[in-house]
Amino acid sequence: MINTIIYGLTIGAILYFISIGLSLTFGTMKIVNFAHALAYTIGVYMLVTFLPLVKGNFVIAALISTAVVVPISYVIERFIIRRLYGESLDYAIIATYAVLLIGVDLIKWIWGVNPYPMSDPVGKYLSLGGLTIPVYRIVIVVAAFLLFVALNFFFKKSIMGKIVVAALEDKDGVRCLGIKVDRYFSMVFILGSALAALGGVLYAPITSIHPYMGSMVLLLSFSVVIVGGLGNLNGTFVSALALGLVMSLTARYWPPGTETMVFIVMAIMLIIKPIEV
Amino acid sequence: MNKEDENTPGPMTDLLEFKKHLPKERILLDLALIAAGFVLLAPILNVQRVTDFMIFCIFVLSFDLLYGYMGRLSFGHMLFLGAGAYGGGLCIRYMTKDPLLAVLAGIIMAGLLAMLLGIIIVRTTGACFALINLAFNQVGFFLVLSVLREITKGEDGIGVVPAGLGWLNLGSRPVMFGFVLFFLLLVFYILRRITTSPYGILIRSIKEDEARVKFLGYNTFLYKWLTYVFAGCVAGLAGTLSALNYGYVNPNFMDTHRNVDVIFAVLIGGAGNLYGSIIGGVVYMVISNYLAIYIPRWEMFLGISLLILVFRFRQGIWGFVREQGSRRSVRGEIGVKKG
Repeated sequence: MINTIIYGLTIGAILYFISIGLSLTFGTMKIVNFAHALAYTIGVYMLVTFLPLVKGNFVIAALISTAVVVPISYVIERFIIRRLYGESLDYAIIATYAVLLIGVDLIKWIWGVNPYPMSDPVGKYLSLGGLTIPVYRIVIVVAAFLLFVALNFFFKKSIMGKIVVAALEDKDGVRCLGIKVDRYFSMVFILGSALAALGGVLYAPITSIHPYMGSMVLLLSFSVVIVGGLGNLNGTFVSALALGLVMSLTARYWPPGTETMVFIVMAIMLIIKPIEV
Repeated sequence: MNKEDENTPGPMTDLLEFKKHLPKERILLDLALIAAGFVLLAPILNVQRVTDFMIFCIFVLSFDLLYGYMGRLSFGHMLFLGAGAYGGGLCIRYMTKDPLLAVLAGIIMAGLLAMLLGIIIVRTTGACFALINLAFNQVGFFLVLSVLREITKGEDGIGVVPAGLGWLNLGSRPVMFGFVLFFLLLVFYILRRITTSPYGILIRSIKEDEARVKFLGYNTFLYKWLTYVFAGCVAGLAGTLSALNYGYVNPNFMDTHRNVDVIFAVLIGGAGNLYGSIIGGVVYMVISNYLAIYIPRWEMFLGISLLILVFRFRQGIWGFVREQGSRRSVRGEIGVKKG
């Protein structure tokens, strides 16, 4: 049972990494960014590529993979998203989906469609009163908590964070103060994409790596965003961990329904509290 | 509806003006043109493929009702196609071999599903709407693939061999062609009547500005839900016909990755127009059936074309044609601007 909880917290932690970017772009620009799944997938494939080059040093490979996603997401933001500001939301959805299609096809072209195997980078197990817990999973959960604290600090203390939080509340109000909101949005976009890549990198050793891995994760993190509230940073954290637990508990008692249960929770949430965008 | 459409000002006056200009013959002429077009296309290409084209056109029409007319972009419309296909397929396998009853079963299956899910889904707009549809589509895919394996036979799918329709044998390609063509014309006629009715004006107004429609005193939730259910039923019809045409049904009928096909078709044809949907459906099917062998990276082609459509060619083929002939007054369009 404790193992189940630890597994759930791990998945929740990963979902938090990925959903924070979605939640921010959702809250500020009101678009759903399908290309977010691309950032996640690219991060994973970069990790696979760079890991042998740096002699299996996981931390360095993870940092490089996250860094690689930054220019890519900048290009996506600059040439796709920014041209669609103030336009019909549907076009933004279709355009980012098109970017996802192109990106996934490129990945298939370069790396092939076969899944990549990957092993636990820590490889140690913690024995605790008859339980064995992989240390790596604890590392992930701790990383998510650290990220939560860091982001909270960033959004409460730094001027950029404050501007973004204000823009989440009232975009036009912030613009009236003479602040170039769009520039901050693009920074938030890049930050979110980099975090998604980092989430992918952390998740890579305990999942299967294939070009379409982003789609399911995108749907799950979307559910996290819905349950947590659009643009609600603390809500995203709580709902990510809660949905991670829902997934691991469902997987324990009814394995085929693991993802389905998340969507059911989301549906219930929508019935209780419909979203008006 | 009836008590309002006589003398209420607002969107309705638009309609009354419009009705005067819409002769009955115009609809019949359109239907005849569509039928003639497909009948001419059939010998040139291949009867079975053109039957497939028409089924896809029905599906595109149902999607266009949702996206083009009501402005709700769904990324999970395949769910209803699959539900219809499984509804019809299961009906033929376990109950009766009558093709008409199978079609009815498919429509009912998709309709019931849309009624149930619609209660949740139509509360949302924009991005939420798109992704919640996608989520439910994914759930449906998993259901038919693994959870309901006992009934749906999982990945293998089930064979769908209907009995004849009276003395007609549906196994013969031309009969199947006629059968599908009949449903395409029926759907086109019904949609044409619906979209030019007060109800059609209302759902277009919801696309433009839902808050104002609410202020006018309409229960927008009800109309959105009705449209969603109707679009689901039509998609279910397309699904059943597709299962009958292929002779089997498997989880691919519900594959979430195929949602982009119908979005592409609607965009290339021109959203918010029934003729655009037919053109888009045919163009997409021609590309995917005949040109795909020359396109080595299919997904990349789709992605790049979608970007071009979004940035440079939003009006679609039908819109382009109409722009070219804009000096002639076009009566098929009501004064609501496309968004």
